[in-house]
Amino acid sequence: MSLQHYLVISAILFTLGIFAVLTRKNAISILMGIELILNSCNLNFAAFSRFVVPPENVDGLIIPNIDGQVIAIFGIVLAAAEAAVFLAIILAIYREFGSIRPDEVDTLKG
Amino acid sequence: MVIPLISIILLCPLAAFVIFALLGLAKRSFPRQDLLSTAAMLAALVCSFLLLREVVPDPKPHTVNWISVGDFTFSMGFYLDSVTVIMLIVVTLVSSLVHIFSIGYMHGDPRYPRFFAYLSLFSFSMLFLVVSDNLLGIYIGWELVGLCSYLLIGFWFEKDSAANACKKAFLTTRVGDVGMFIGMMMLFAKFKTLSLYDGTENGIFTLVEGLSGTGDIIWLSIAGILIFCGAIGKSAQVPLHTWLPDAMEGPTPVSALIHAATMVAAGVYLTARMFPILTDTSSLVIAYIGGITALVAATIAIVRFDIKRVLAYSTVSQLGYMMLAIGAGSYVAGLFHLTTHAFFKALLFLGSGSVIHAFHAMHAHHDEDHTDGEAHEHDDHSLVHEHGSEIPPDQDMRNMGGLRRKMPWTFGTMLVATLSISGVPFLFSGFWSKDAILGGVLGHAMVSHSPHYYILFGMALIAAGITAFYMFRLIFMTFFGEPRNQEMHDMAHESPWVMVVPLLVLAVLSIPIVNPIWFNKDYVKPPPQSHIHAPAHAQLGPDTKTGDANSGFAFFWISEAQAAEEEGGKNTEKADDAYRIHKLAHNIAMVLSICVAGLGILLSWLFYHRRRFSAESVATKFSPVYNLFWNKYYFDEFYDGVLVALTVWKSRLFAQFDGAIVDGTVNGVGTVTRQIFAAFIGFFDNRVVDGIVNRVAEVTWAAGGRIRRIQTGAIQTYLFVVLGGIVLIILIFRAL
Repeated sequence: MSLQHYLVISAILFTLGIFAVLTRKNAISILMGIELILNSCNLNFAAFSRFVVPPENVDGLIIPNIDGQVIAIFGIVLAAAEAAVFLAIILAIYREFGSIRPDEVDTLKG
Repeated sequence: MVIPLISIILLCPLAAFVIFALLGLAKRSFPRQDLLSTAAMLAALVCSFLLLREVVPDPKPHTVNWISVGDFTFSMGFYLDSVTVIMLIVVTLVSSLVHIFSIGYMHGDPRYPRFFAYLSLFSFSMLFLVVSDNLLGIYIGWELVGLCSYLLIGFWFEKDSAANACKKAFLTTRVGDVGMFIGMMMLFAKFKTLSLYDGTENGIFTLVEGLSGTGDIIWLSIAGILIFCGAIGKSAQVPLHTWLPDAMEGPTPVSALIHAATMVAAGVYLTARMFPILTDTSSLVIAYIGGITALVAATIAIVRFDIKRVLAYSTVSQLGYMMLAIGAGSYVAGLFHLTTHAFFKALLFLGSGSVIHAFHAMHAHHDEDHTDGEAHEHDDHSLVHEHGSEIPPDQDMRNMGGLRRKMPWTFGTMLVATLSISGVPFLFSGFWSKDAILGGVLGHAMVSHSPHYYILFGMALIAAGITAFYMFRLIFMTFFGEPRNQEMHDMAHESPWVMVVPLLVLAVLSIPIVNPIWFNKDYVKPPPQSHIHAPAHAQLGPDTKTGDANSGFAFFWISEAQAAEEEGGKNTEKADDAYRIHKLAHNIAMVLSICVAGLGILLSWLFYHRRRFSAESVATKFSPVYNLFWNKYYFDEFYDGVLVALTVWKSRLFAQFDGAIVDGTVNGVGTVTRQIFAAFIGFFDNRVVDGIVNRVAEVTWAAGGRIRRIQTGAIQTYLFVVLGGIVLIILIFRAL
């Protein structure tokens, strides 16, 4: 498995995420799209870390680079936190407007 | 002792006035305020007599610095010489007696306390004028007495005639005061001081001696005449005499105090005070004004029927005498006549007040609101007041007659005063003072060989005869004969004792034997003044002249000696010559004046008592002359027709100028500004400024309208744009 495979998968995920964000009428579906985008990024971080950065040689001991993997973990944690906040906001919007469709939440529209 | 005494004299009347004013402000009344005022004057009178002992031959002024302006310091102070102290006694004495008389005369007047307040203020002002040692102080007192005169003439201001008379008096005297002020400023410009005599070299009187013989004499003459202008106004000399007869609209005690005895004499006092600066020219002008006044006023007095107007013109005439005396160099004679005249003329006025009071009681009884009723009768606003029909009935001598049995005390005292003013010899004071003036004028004429003074002597002599005539005409018409108005006669009664006692005191003072002021040489010393054309400073005394000068009255004697000194100067031989001529002149004048006085009294007796001649037929026969006298030489008509009309015309012209040109200019500027300038600015503002602002707003508005469509509120649209933007950026970077 080479880097290209990972990148293709990642691009598919990203595109699906963008598509979901732009087209879905349900805020939950949009959230799911965002999660896809985030995860495509995480995948890229891990793939680039694995394939692009060479391992470090310390006194004959070869240590692989794991920076991308660490950032990917951060991204997952971030996504979890974000999902919690997002869901809380959606809940508040639902209480206020009786709907979770973003195009109906248009009080600020001029 | 001098300062405390003068302070008491000044402060007593002032304190009385201030107490009145404060009570008036507090709207409270004090029982018997009149007594407070009278007591203040009596205290001042006592202090004045005490001051007699303090007079020294060469007095020093007592001054304090008042205002400092740059290098100049105006000082205020007192100057006490024999002239001052005699004026003080005359003022306080007459004022006290008038206060006492007023208690009876003004009784029941609604503004009774105010009357006494004004009298107190007047007394203070007059005393301040007299004791001031500089022209500024004299001027302040001068204006204050003018104010009091105004207030008291208009005391019964419900009457239009009184309101007009007080305005006339104030404005007429103002004309003279302006001249006086200019004269003062001329002296100030020259000498840088207004002090008359400050004990050092810096007084005007000392400085003026340095001008003798220089080219500044013409300048000094003009200054002297200008200062005399103030006296012309205040002492009612021709041509500014017209206010004094109208001033008789005031209460009679006021006429006696202010318009006979004291204030009008202030002009004489001023002229006598300023004697050292008078030059030959200004002396001649003063003498002519005085002589003309004496004659003109006397002739007008002949044909008056209002008892107070007769006395008013008589006052004008006598003031003219005093001026004539000063103009002829006999200023001591002028001051002598001032004092004698103050007493007998105050007596005459108070006597006439007593007569009016007797009639007035009945008059008021008939018509309770008589003042209100009269207010509507006098509805003309011209300066001309006195016409036959306008004489109040209680002052009209044609309603009187036979009063001597009804009012014996008033009659007796008025007769003494009449004998005195007529110049009946030896027993009456007026004879001595008038003779001193006539002798002084004749002596001056004989010494200087000046035809002017012979003419003036003739005028004065004729005026003396006329004076005797009209004064006895007054006595005969009022007190002798049969009552002409039986109804009024029946109501008449002798006045209460508070009014009779002042009459008696004044009658006694008109007999010179009993009068210590005039008799004691120690009290009468000529002040240290010298005349510019005879700078002799020698102290006059019995030793310097021939011994027989000791006989006679002090004033009379000093008058002769001083006049001689004027003529002769320091040259003893020449002075002796002048003295002999003056002695001769006095004897001639005495004989002549006795003759004319006798003639006047005889004619008056024939006309008005024996009715041998009819005054009416004489009046008809000489109707042009009669009309001239009756209409007072048309002075009022002249002023009304020329000065007043000119002023009104000028005012109208200015009003038109104001209305047409000034207002027109302002309105024109306004119109131009509004129609053209403002219109242009408005156009610019509306079109250009507003246009720019509006266009900017419209463009912004339109742009906003279009741009806001981008903001659909649909998040996914935004996200799509963001995505498109990112793609675009990537493509751009790729292309680069």
